[in-house]
Amino acid sequence: MLEAIIEILLKTAVILALPLGALPIIIHVERRGAAFIQKRLGPNRVGPLGLLQPLADVAKFMFKEEVHPSHVRPFFYTAAPVVALVVAILPLACIPIFAPIEIFGRSVYPEVFKSDMGIFFAFAASALGSYGILLAGWASNNKYSMLGAIRACAQMVSYELSLSTSLVAMIFLYGSNDIHVMVAEQTGYWFGFLPKWGFFLQPVAAMLFLIGIFAESNRLPFDLAEGESEIVAGYHIEYSSMKFALFFMAEYIHMIALSALFIIMFFGGYSLLPGMELIADRIPASLAILQALSLIIKVASMIWFFVWVRWSFPRFRYDQLMNLGWERLLPIGIANLIVTVLFVYFRNH
Amino acid sequence: MEFASFAVFFIIACTLSAVLLGISSLLGQKRKAIREMDIYESGVNPVGSATRQYDIKFFLTAILFLLFDVEIVFLLPWAMAYNGAPDQTFMMWGFVFFMAILLVGYIFVINSKALKWEE
Repeated sequence: MLEAIIEILLKTAVILALPLGALPIIIHVERRGAAFIQKRLGPNRVGPLGLLQPLADVAKFMFKEEVHPSHVRPFFYTAAPVVALVVAILPLACIPIFAPIEIFGRSVYPEVFKSDMGIFFAFAASALGSYGILLAGWASNNKYSMLGAIRACAQMVSYELSLSTSLVAMIFLYGSNDIHVMVAEQTGYWFGFLPKWGFFLQPVAAMLFLIGIFAESNRLPFDLAEGESEIVAGYHIEYSSMKFALFFMAEYIHMIALSALFIIMFFGGYSLLPGMELIADRIPASLAILQALSLIIKVASMIWFFVWVRWSFPRFRYDQLMNLGWERLLPIGIANLIVTVLFVYFRNH
Repeated sequence: MEFASFAVFFIIACTLSAVLLGISSLLGQKRKAIREMDIYESGVNPVGSATRQYDIKFFLTAILFLLFDVEIVFLLPWAMAYNGAPDQTFMMWGFVFFMAILLVGYIFVINSKALKWEE
């Protein structure tokens, strides 16, 4: 019993500490990356290379005046940032960072919430993200907020369809919804050098999913929810100090969770990066650490990709965004699913 | 056990957010400025209320999303069951029939211009 409690607490601590600890680094990378791409300097004054800037920001958020406007709906106004952050953290409970291992005769699963339906839970929880935004927009009682929230919500539900079609295609191909089975299917090499990643099996589904996660996390080129030139800041316009920071953190954690899902489905999850097998063969005990490291490296590359795209592309217009979602991505996703099913069927029969 | 584990995770996540909010309302600067409490509308005096009418397209999008998402949710158990199914031919034709119905619905939606945004 004691061991079980220690295990739960330890897993919770690790799963919460990893993304929350990575947040300041990601935000710093985003700013410095933006500066690098736009040939600026970026934050470089606080500490060596500006590395202490995130800490200074946290201190600033804590000591800022908390403006609580008189026209808002008080309960939901305060609840919205909490809902946004909690809901962004939830999908992480189902994401394994290494394969199940045996420690002192106990078989230990890396997920906090071990379930057959892990991947569905992660999807459902990340889809709840629109509630935080919708609550914030409505509770702020401001036209910009309301517009931003409605836009964000319509956008998120539209792109969820293409996400789900590629999820169906991948579950069909792997024949299982268990994340560990999915990763096991992607371990190994084709022709001795090409990793067996889902991306090479289903490039169309991978592209749909990639576009979908950009739209789901409200990142450029899909950040219509906070288009500065139209609605100033969108749903968080009336929020200040730590309440705003919670939305900010929620956005980045949502990004991390969606990237992890993308990596699990299309880039082998925690399966070892090419070259790491050499170390794992020599020292079998290091396998779990290497797997966690592989997943972290893959997710970090995805985050850099997010930053890279954000500072390279202009924003869509709203009608273009909705047309892309409904008239391009959804038919492509369904066609991809049908072709996949027919191909697999006629190959086997 | 898994649910206990998840409950711990959920409670810690909620506590974390609440503590962060609490810290800033304890440490934050206290000042009451009348103008700050006003609705932000790019600096001019606010006009009208925020709960006005919005484009019907947003609601249409939400309703259509429900429709298509339910159809895709029906496909998930199908995709999980396909490999172990005794009669894959039946499974495959069932899928094709289902997708044909979905396609008819999709064509109807596109033709009725329910999702056309540009004016």
